[in-house]
Amino acid sequence: MAKRKPFRIASLFKLLAMVAVCFWSGLPIALIFISSLKLPRDIFASPPSLFFTPTLDNYARLWAEAGNIFQGLLNSLIVTIGTMSLAVLVSLLAAYAYSRYRSRWLSVSAFFLIAIRLIPPIVITIPLFPAVNALSLNDTHFILIILYTAFFVSLGTFVMRTFIDQIPRELDEAAIIDGATRLQVITKVILPLSAQGIVAVAVFIIVFAWNEFLFAFIFTSSFAKTAPLALAELNDSFDGVQWGVVFSAATVQLVPILLFIIITQKYLVAGLTAGATKG
Amino acid sequence: MKGTRIAIAPYVLIAPAQLLVIALIFIPALYVLFLSFHTSSFGAQPIFVGLQNYAAILNDGYFWRALTNTVIVILIVVHAEILIGLGMALLLASWKWGRPAILAIILAPYAVTEASAVVIWRFLFDPQMGVVGQALTAMGLPTLEWAVEPMHGLIMVSLLSVWLHLPFTFIILYAARLAIPTDLYEAGAIDGATPWQQFRRLTLPLLLPAMLIAMLFRYIFAFRLFSEVWLLTGGGPARTTEVSAVYLYLEAFRYHSFGTASATGWLLVLASFGLAYVYLRSIYKEMFRGQA
Repeated sequence: MAKRKPFRIASLFKLLAMVAVCFWSGLPIALIFISSLKLPRDIFASPPSLFFTPTLDNYARLWAEAGNIFQGLLNSLIVTIGTMSLAVLVSLLAAYAYSRYRSRWLSVSAFFLIAIRLIPPIVITIPLFPAVNALSLNDTHFILIILYTAFFVSLGTFVMRTFIDQIPRELDEAAIIDGATRLQVITKVILPLSAQGIVAVAVFIIVFAWNEFLFAFIFTSSFAKTAPLALAELNDSFDGVQWGVVFSAATVQLVPILLFIIITQKYLVAGLTAGATKG
Repeated sequence: MKGTRIAIAPYVLIAPAQLLVIALIFIPALYVLFLSFHTSSFGAQPIFVGLQNYAAILNDGYFWRALTNTVIVILIVVHAEILIGLGMALLLASWKWGRPAILAIILAPYAVTEASAVVIWRFLFDPQMGVVGQALTAMGLPTLEWAVEPMHGLIMVSLLSVWLHLPFTFIILYAARLAIPTDLYEAGAIDGATPWQQFRRLTLPLLLPAMLIAMLFRYIFAFRLFSEVWLLTGGGPARTTEVSAVYLYLEAFRYHSFGTASATGWLLVLASFGLAYVYLRSIYKEMFRGQA
C-alpha cells in the first residue's frame, strides 16, 4: 500500500499537465469562436463573461461591411484545389520514377529537389515580382498555384515515394507483360494502391495553400486576394475597435480547414511523419 | 529498343516536377545571386558594383538588429518547442482515455493561419479584455507591452510562433515515441528500472534522432520567420523588432533597393544551407550509397 500514494500524486500531476496542454492548444481557438458570438459589451467585459447571449450580429456586419472576406474564401478555395491537383499529379509522377528507377542522374536530380526546398521563399520574390508583373500574372490564381506547387513538390514527391515503395514491383511487371504502358501502370496499378499516400500528401498541401500568407501578400492585391490576406487587412483596418467582426472573419476562415484536419487526422499524422523522416 | 525506353521514361516522369522547381526557385535564386553584385531598382538596368551591396548591409545597423532578433526568436522558439513537444508526446503516449480527441485538440493550431493567430494572441494579452492580460494585471504583474517594448514584441512573436508550430514538432516526437516497442519498457520494469531511469536510458536515446530531425527542420523554417512579425509589429516600433525576412522585404519592396535585398537574400540562402549541411550530407550519402 505504501507504493500507491506517490502513484496517485503522479496521476494527479499528469491530469493537471494534460488539462494545461488542452488549454494551451484549444483555448485560443475556442476564444475565436466564442468571441465571434459576443456583442462588443460582452467582449469588453471584465472579468471575461462566460455567460452571455450569443448573437450573429458580428457575422451580419461581416457580410455587410467586409464582404471581400467571402470573395477571399472563394479565391482560397480555387487556389487550394488548384495547388492540390497540380502538386499531387506532379509529385505522383516523380515519386513513381524515383521509386522504380535507379541511375546516377536520377539520384542527382532527387538530391537537387531536396536541397532546393531549403531556399527561403521570400528570397525568390525579389526577381519574381518584376517578372510576374511583366508577364501580367500578378493577382492571378495561377501564379499562386504554381508557386505553392513548386515549394511543395519536393516534400510531396518523397512522401509519396515512401508509399509507392511499399507496392510490390511484381505488380508493375505483371501489368507490363499484359501489355500496359508505364502511364497505364501508374493510373491503373499505382494510383489505386497508393491512395493513402495521395491523401496524406494532399492533406498537408491543402492546409498550406489555404493558410499561406507571404506569396499571397506579395503577388495578389484584389482579384485573386486569398482569405488570409483579406483577414490581415480587415484586422488592420478595424484596429482595436471591431474585435467581434474580426473574430467572425477568423472563424469563417478557420472552421472549414479545422474540420478538414480533424476528419483527415490519421493522414495528416502519416504525411507529416513521413515528410520529416524520409524527405 | 527496350534499353532506350527504360532510360528515358523516368526523366519524362520527373520533368514536370523538375521544371517547376527550376523555373520558379532555382533560376530566380541564381538571379538573386547575380543581382546581389549589382545596383538595381524597378525599371533600371543593373550596374555591376562587386561586393558593395554586401558591404552596405554588413555596415547597416538595422541588418544586424534584424539578424540578432531572428537568432533570439529561433533560439527561444525551437528549443521551447522541442522541450514542450517532448513533454506532450510522453504525456499523451502514457495516457489512457480520449486519445483521439486530445490529439485533435493538440493538432488544432496547425490549421490556424498566421493572421488569426496574431488576432487571438493580441486579444489574449490585451490588458483590458484579454484573459491572460487581465490575469497578469490582477496578479500585479506587468503585461506584455508588445507594441512599445521591442523585447516584449519578440516574446509575443515567439509565443505565437511556438503555439502555431508545436503540432509539427509534437507529432514527429509522438510518432517516434509510439515506435518504441513496449516490450523494451516491460523488460526495463522487470529489471527494476525507475521511471526516471527508463526515461534517461531508454526513451531519451531512442527519441534523440527524431528530436534532432525536428530541431533541424524547425531551425530552417523558423529562420524564414516573416508573417508573424509582419502582422504583429510590422517590424516596429522604429524597426526594433525586424527579423531578417522583414528586413529583406523592406529593402526590396519599400526602399526598392534590389541589390541589398538580394545580398540579404543570398546570405539567408547560405545560412539555410549551412544549417542543413549535416542533413544534406547524410541524404547525399544515403542516395549515392553503392553507386560508383
